[in-house]
Amino acid sequence: MLSVRQLSIDIDGKSIVRNSSFSVPLGKITSIIGESGSGKSMTVSALLGILPPGAKATGQALFNGKNLLTVSDKEMTEIRKIHLFTIFQDAANSFNPSVKMRHQLYEFSGRKMGDTIEEFRVKMEGILDDLGLASEIMEQYPFELSGGMLQRCMIACALYMEPTLLIADEPTSALDMVLQKEFIGLLKRLNEQHGTTILLITHDLDIVAEAAHDMVVMRHGEVVETGSVAEVFDCPKHPYTKLLLDSRF
Amino acid sequence: MTVKWIGKRMMMGIIVLLIVSFLSFFIMHAAPGDPAAAFYGGNAQTLNAAEKERISRVFSLDRPVIAQYGTWLAETVKGNLGVSYKEGRPVSTILMERLPNTLLLFGVTLFFISIGSIWLGTTAGMKEGSLWDKGLSTVSIVTSSIPAFWLGILFISFFAVKLGVLPSSGTGDIGGEGGFVDKLRYLFMPAAVIILTHVGIYARFLQESIKVESRNYYVTVARANGVAEQVIRKGILRNASIPYLNYIGMTIPSFVGGSIIVESLFSWSGLGQLTVKAVVTKDFPLLMGGILLTGLIVVVSLFVIDLITYSLNPRLRKGDVR
Repeated sequence: MLSVRQLSIDIDGKSIVRNSSFSVPLGKITSIIGESGSGKSMTVSALLGILPPGAKATGQALFNGKNLLTVSDKEMTEIRKIHLFTIFQDAANSFNPSVKMRHQLYEFSGRKMGDTIEEFRVKMEGILDDLGLASEIMEQYPFELSGGMLQRCMIACALYMEPTLLIADEPTSALDMVLQKEFIGLLKRLNEQHGTTILLITHDLDIVAEAAHDMVVMRHGEVVETGSVAEVFDCPKHPYTKLLLDSRF
Repeated sequence: MTVKWIGKRMMMGIIVLLIVSFLSFFIMHAAPGDPAAAFYGGNAQTLNAAEKERISRVFSLDRPVIAQYGTWLAETVKGNLGVSYKEGRPVSTILMERLPNTLLLFGVTLFFISIGSIWLGTTAGMKEGSLWDKGLSTVSIVTSSIPAFWLGILFISFFAVKLGVLPSSGTGDIGGEGGFVDKLRYLFMPAAVIILTHVGIYARFLQESIKVESRNYYVTVARANGVAEQVIRKGILRNASIPYLNYIGMTIPSFVGGSIIVESLFSWSGLGQLTVKAVVTKDFPLLMGGILLTGLIVVVSLFVIDLITYSLNPRLRKGDVR
C-alpha cells in the first residue's frame, strides 16, 4: 500500500528526519509512535506534500506505485482528493469558522466523489446519525460544536469517502479520555467494516496497543524499530522502545 | 438578534453625531474672533460696541454657549439648520446643493479604491513570495507616502498647464452643457489623486490579512484533503475581508478629512470646500451644518461597513462576540 524508503527531511539545512523506512500494509492499522519532535508529523507532511516553506524531502514514498515525494502538483491533488483522507490533531481549528458545516462536510467528502448536494445530504445524515450526531449540526458553524463533535465530523467524512489510506495525525490528543476511547473505536470500526488502511500517528502507547496491528517507533528523526504490535510489545529490540514500554503503567 | 444589533448600532451613530456637534460648537465658540463682527462681513471694523451688542442680542449670541447649543440642537432635530451668515440663505439649501458633488467624489473614489485594493491585495496575498507580493509592499509604501495636495499640484501642472487636456479646478464648465462627460472631466483629477494615494495602503492591508489567513490550520487541513483550491481561496478571502472592512471603517474619518483638502485644492464644489470657507468666514450656522452632514456621511458609511461585516461574520450574528 505505502512503502517509505530512505525518507529524509531537511528544513533550511537542518536535518529533521533521517533515512526513515517503513511500510503500511493494505487493510491494516499501522501506528507511528514517538515523542514530540521525533519527526512523526513532519513525515506525514512530507507524504501529503504540505511541508512548510524551506523544507525539502528526499527518498521514496511509494503509494500505489507512485512516489508521493516526486509526483506533480496535479497528481498530488488527485491523490489527496480521491485516495487519501487525513484527520489532524486540532479538530476545533480544522474547519473554516465562517462557513456552515454542511458546506464544509460537502467539500471534504461529497464534492470530491462527484455527488450532488442532495445525494450528499441523504448519505451524510445517515453517517452522522450512526456516529451519534444530530443532522442539525449541518446547519451549525464549527464554533458552535465541541472538539469531540468536530473530530467525529472528520470521521464522518472518512466514512463517506472510504479512502484507500486514512492518515490520522494525533487525532485524540485534544480529546478527553472518554472521547479518545470512542474515537479509537470508530477508527477500528472503519478498518474492520470497510477494510480501510490506516496510518495512525500518536505518542500514546495505550492507543497503539488498543488499535494498531503494526507499529513504527521513531526517535530524534530516525525510525528505530518496526514490526507487528504483538512482536514489539513482547520482544522490543531497541533500548528506546524498551524504555517506552517500561514507562507504561 | 439582528434587529437588536441594528438598533444598537443606530443608537451609537446618534451618540457619535451628538458628541461631534457638541465638541464642534464649543471649539468654534472658544476660537478667537467675534461672530457678530463676522456676520457684518468686510465692514466689521466700522461697527461700534453698541451695534455689536445689538447684533449679539438679536442672534442670542450674548446667551451662555450651552444655551445656544441647546437651541441649535432643538432646531436641528426639527430640521432647521439656520441661515448662513454670509449668504443669507437657509443652511440646508446650501448643503443640499453641495451634497451631490461630495457624494459623487466620495462614492467614485471609494468604489475604485475598493475594486483596486481587492484586486491588488488578493493577487499579491494569494501568491506569497511572488513578485506581486514583494512589489505591492513597496508600491503601497511609496503611494501612501505621497501627500495628496502635492500630487494634486503635480497633476494640475501636468494635465492642465502642460497638456491642457483637463480643467484645473471646479465642478463643471460654465459654457458646457453640465452633462455627465463634462462632470467626468472635472472629476478625473481630484478622484485620481484620492484613489492613487489610498489604494496602495488598503491593498497592502488586505494582502497581509490574506497571508495571515492562509497560514491558518483549517487551510492546511483543507489542502491536505484535496478540497478544491477555489473553495479554499473563497474561504480565505471571506475571512480576510473582515479585518480589511474594519480597516476601511477605521480610516473612513481620515479619508473624508483628506477629501476636504483635495476638494479645496481643485475647488471641487463639495461639502469639504464649503466647510473650509465657513471656517474662514466664521459662518457658524453653515459650519455646524457642514460638520454635521460630514459626520452623518461617516456614520452612515460605518454603519454600512458594520452591516457587511455582520453578514460575513457568523460569530457576530450568533452573538458569540459583541
